[in-house]
Amino acid sequence: MSHRILIIDDEEDIREVAGLSLETVAGWEVFLANSGPQGIARAIEHQPDAILLDVMMPGMDGPATFRELRGNPATAHIPVMLLTAKVQATDQRRFADLGVEAVLFKPFDPLTLSDQISGVLGWS
Amino acid sequence: MPLVGSDFGKQQLWNRYRRQKGLGVLNPVQQDALSQALDGLWAKFLPLIEERVALLGSAAAAFAAGRLPAEEVQAAGAAAHKLAGVLGSFGLARGTALARELETLYLSPSGPEPASGASLISMAAELRAIVQNRR
Repeated sequence: MSHRILIIDDEEDIREVAGLSLETVAGWEVFLANSGPQGIARAIEHQPDAILLDVMMPGMDGPATFRELRGNPATAHIPVMLLTAKVQATDQRRFADLGVEAVLFKPFDPLTLSDQISGVLGWS
Repeated sequence: MPLVGSDFGKQQLWNRYRRQKGLGVLNPVQQDALSQALDGLWAKFLPLIEERVALLGSAAAAFAAGRLPAEEVQAAGAAAHKLAGVLGSFGLARGTALARELETLYLSPSGPEPASGASLISMAAELRAIVQNRR
């Protein structure tokens, strides 16, 4: 089954590698956004099945973007997974307390990123 | 053409895992396409990656000479953070490990230890070699 994923990350290389991975390995439809505000707009427009959201972004960071997505009736239902290169336990606890579906870590393996997402969301 | 950072054995294990889970597997043509596409992205982003690696080299030299301002310590830490988050996706696990270590050193509350200049230089040099030698 094909799914639709929105990737929100200010880093173009991350967006493109993740997008390539999910399109090529899983055959999913991918939407990209380079900031929190752009991500929120694209989430409203495209209604993805899930959102992959970077933590560290200038301006509206990942947690702030997540709170906006949760607070908007048009996007509150969309599961969100954080994507971060922060591996310290204190950061992980802070992220988990936000209420996201999962925290995925960079660097990700392009071969298995879709498997990770599927596993978190219970997709076959 | 092998996958980036993989070998034939890993590909076979990965395909077996996916079959066991009922997931689709990439056939050799798809695997080759993914590998080539990743190589294409590497080529596209290499200038940016090299710029960040060069920044780390310069920062290390400046720190060793006692001439690295606080804002440049933060910039080095930020560059290391970005490299740590992406190099492994291109098969450069050692690159991620080095970058992560550099990030930790630069972004520690009091900055790098004064005596760590040689280590910073060495790690930056190894990082540069890893990036240059990626096939």
